[in-house]
Amino acid sequence: MTDNNKSKFSIDQWQKSFEKETKIDSVDNFINSSDEGIDIKPIYTEQDLHNLEFIEKDSLPGQWPFTRGPKASMYTNRPWTIRQYAGFSTAEESNEFYRKNLESGQKGLSVAFDLPTHRGYDSDDELVMGDVGKAGVAIDTVEDMKILFNNIPLNEMSVSMTMNGAVLPILSSFIVSGEEQNVGKDQLSGTIQNDILKEFMVRNTYIYPPDPSMKIVADIIEYTSKEMPKFNSISISGYHMQEAGADNVLELAYTLADGIEYVRAAKSKGLDVDEFAPRLSFFFAIGTDFFMEIAKLRAARTLWAKIMRDFGAKKEKSLMLRTHCQTSGVSLTEKDPYNNIIRTSYEALSAVLGGTQSLHTNSFDEAIALPTDESARIARNTQLILQNETGVTKTVDPLAGSYFIESLTDQLSKKAWDIIQEVEELGGMTKAVKAGVPKLKIEESATKKQAKVDSGSRVVVGVNKFKNPNEPKVDVRVIDNEKVRDDQIKKLDQIKKSRNQKDVDHSLSELVTAAKEDKNLLEYSIDAIRNRATVGEVSKALESVFGRHFAKSLSVSGVYGKHFEGDQDFMNVSNKIDIFEKDFGRRPRVLVVKMGQDGHDRGAKIVATSFADLGFDVDMGPLFQSPKDVVKDAIENDVHAIGVSTLAAGHKTLVPELMKCLKESDPDNKIIIFVGGIIPEQDYQFLYDQNVSAIFGPGSNIIECAEQVIDLISKNSNKK
Amino acid sequence: MSLADRIYNGERAAIAKAITLVESKNQSDKLEGKKLISELMVKPGHSIRLGFSGPPGVGKSTFIESFGKYLVSKGLKLGVLAIDPSSQITGGSILGDKTRMIEISKSENTFIRSTPSKGSLGGVSSGTREAAIILDAAGYDYVFIETVGVGQSEILASNLVDIFTLIVGPGSGDELQGIKKGITEYADIFIVNKNDGDLKIEASKTQSDYKSAVSYYRNDDINSPLKDVLLVSSLEQTGMDEVIQAVEKIIAYNKEKNEFDKRRFNQLSFWLEEQVKALMQESLEKKLKEEIAVSDLTSQVVEGKIHMYEAIDQIMTKVEKKI
Repeated sequence: MTDNNKSKFSIDQWQKSFEKETKIDSVDNFINSSDEGIDIKPIYTEQDLHNLEFIEKDSLPGQWPFTRGPKASMYTNRPWTIRQYAGFSTAEESNEFYRKNLESGQKGLSVAFDLPTHRGYDSDDELVMGDVGKAGVAIDTVEDMKILFNNIPLNEMSVSMTMNGAVLPILSSFIVSGEEQNVGKDQLSGTIQNDILKEFMVRNTYIYPPDPSMKIVADIIEYTSKEMPKFNSISISGYHMQEAGADNVLELAYTLADGIEYVRAAKSKGLDVDEFAPRLSFFFAIGTDFFMEIAKLRAARTLWAKIMRDFGAKKEKSLMLRTHCQTSGVSLTEKDPYNNIIRTSYEALSAVLGGTQSLHTNSFDEAIALPTDESARIARNTQLILQNETGVTKTVDPLAGSYFIESLTDQLSKKAWDIIQEVEELGGMTKAVKAGVPKLKIEESATKKQAKVDSGSRVVVGVNKFKNPNEPKVDVRVIDNEKVRDDQIKKLDQIKKSRNQKDVDHSLSELVTAAKEDKNLLEYSIDAIRNRATVGEVSKALESVFGRHFAKSLSVSGVYGKHFEGDQDFMNVSNKIDIFEKDFGRRPRVLVVKMGQDGHDRGAKIVATSFADLGFDVDMGPLFQSPKDVVKDAIENDVHAIGVSTLAAGHKTLVPELMKCLKESDPDNKIIIFVGGIIPEQDYQFLYDQNVSAIFGPGSNIIECAEQVIDLISKNSNKK
Repeated sequence: MSLADRIYNGERAAIAKAITLVESKNQSDKLEGKKLISELMVKPGHSIRLGFSGPPGVGKSTFIESFGKYLVSKGLKLGVLAIDPSSQITGGSILGDKTRMIEISKSENTFIRSTPSKGSLGGVSSGTREAAIILDAAGYDYVFIETVGVGQSEILASNLVDIFTLIVGPGSGDELQGIKKGITEYADIFIVNKNDGDLKIEASKTQSDYKSAVSYYRNDDINSPLKDVLLVSSLEQTGMDEVIQAVEKIIAYNKEKNEFDKRRFNQLSFWLEEQVKALMQESLEKKLKEEIAVSDLTSQVVEGKIHMYEAIDQIMTKVEKKI
């Protein structure tokens, strides 16, 4: 260090050396624009710390604005919680899996429910036959919930539950399970996701329209703040936004804007901010952009502190953002799947350097199927090794003071803050969501990302570069969906026979009245569940008052094609489509559908918009269609092909059903079926035997898919 | 069984294939389509054709879902031809209309077909009229034609249907002053959608705006049911009774006055004329390009060799000779 104004180091000299080494005449050629539109420079210096708007460079952990972490000691005292999200099949099987994990070093539980439960349907409902027990555990009554926590003492175990749609019957079942284990609700600890706004944007497991859904959120915040002091009433989630393709600024901004909306909802119940704010928690995704993810967590804490201070929060705990993180699911590839272990490790390190409070690391086989015991063990060990071998826990916020990290944190904060202001101008997140603005922005971002990978401007190892010539075979967990469904139906029948029907009817009608009179619904729902009303019955009772929400689907167009101007492969497919149109008098027409209760529509949307950009006419089916609905749609619009997008393991039930309906409706049909999404290789032959023409796994290049589809259609049409 | 017979039988796949034929640009499809339509016109069905038009975002599809649900619940069969405006200039289209007609699209008593509006006049696609004939022959009670309302398309769309309905949103009354008279002239019924929640007051204000604007066009008969302005909420499914009553009244009134058949007859001559005009234009343009060498003359004008009016005269002389 020198005292005089002139530094002994010269940035000009550095620049000259840089240009000499790289043999390029300007450093500026090495500036890359991130997905978020932030310029990433080849060097950062002390200069970059001048003019910071949101970050105070000498701040400390555990102090306002908490950029460096919510606690002063962070991991030096206690490392983050290893909290693996899991659940599948029946409650019995999930319970066994949980107990095994707890014995091997996992600390908290995180429950994944199956899609019918999320959407408020019992396992015996016709609408959900392909989804029972698939992407999570099936819970129909409190009896299932009790089995799920069998031999797991609820007064000691913190339980996180990913539930948003059917949040009332599920939280009620949890509370009644506690009661029947002799654990009072004041002793229950954990978190319920209860974040409905993001469901309308990306994940689609909503039940009711936005306004009554927000009322339910507020009811739960109110109830827990009075009755359940150790329970987090909401986990405000950006995770699913990034999974759906949002860049980090969108994820950050919309998550915090959701948070603002929930605070308002709770305040409208007459609660004081400090009564509930300490128990709001967050949930972010951690993708592969290493430094950006670290900066995101630091920016999130900084902005939230500011937001809560503006709400008049006084308690320190109200100001600090505490978050759970999960490594990115979309970054996992089906190709060369062992690479996923490495991706997940770097993402985990990113989350830890960003200062997360708990973490889930994905299993490497999750791009293919549900994790096996073995892959789940590797995922957990990723965190155990970080905690025990690498030394990352020994220093609090080790990257503070890095010119790059601090500058990035500030820029991310600024960009996110601008979007939050835009949402405020629209009248808050509920209104923005109703208008569909965030959903469209996220879809646009998703399409851009996909185009970068497909055009090769973004490298994905093993997918568009460095491909493995000997793809390894991996074992996957197989769920016997029909058996799970049969078991659940048996249990349901038995409970329905043994319960006191009068009590059930009475408590359900009380619930309906409460909904009409705007009372706190959780109390009434607990009564119904205690009387052994089912999750489906409670949901339907509320549906009779609130209605069921159907999303209108908007689509972006032109975004994908823009990345391929002059691209040879793109033009090649476009030309094939033009030739087809000349020959057959219309464009090839494809119906893109999601069947069953699986609402993850990022893939379907990207396929629709990019296929349209390539020249197909694309019919978009609504979400949650049955195979029969799909067939009617396909026949009436005389489509050449149906593209089925499936991410929740329903393909083995729903695709055969689709084929059957198609045959019945039009025995002479020549419609080509292709399937995309998460499908284990073991199931490929099964699908081909059902006359599926093509299967596209995660990481498929869309232009290549489109070419296969147009070739199949042309071949089929020429047969005439 | 012939395609026509299968259509009379109401076979879904046959109806769909037939619509493909009449929409196709392929010559042999076109011929087949024409033959089919001539066959079907001999034995028409009984359907009432309703047109729904309106600016983007006003909730046309949502209204059709709501009103359609109402008709289907009365046991009526409904065909919907949706001209989807979400088209691009290049490439294909995304047809997302059905994501807004979730419930009626599941019903056995409906047939819903979306068509990209690309390459067509205004919002009406070539083949829409024929598609309506096919659905009529197949026994549908109502055939809805949904078009996006932009400028000229109203004239075309209104010439496809027995009753032409304009759907508008609350607050649109303010724009009425500036709107060309076309819309108010061609529409038989006006529907103000979104009469719910915060928008109720605005909606009824819009209703009065439209009422006073159309009063000028109401014909002399004070009992005429034409040009009524109705309030509905697709969201809350209110006002549907009034819509069907208005429809039934107009049909009865027009039949009584012999206007119903006269309108269909006029429409036939309108389309005949349109078709002839289109074909003439097509063949003329081809001739202008290939035989009359318009571009050569244009270059001569640019180079200053001849005067523009001279070139026009020369072209017209050649054209008249060819005809």
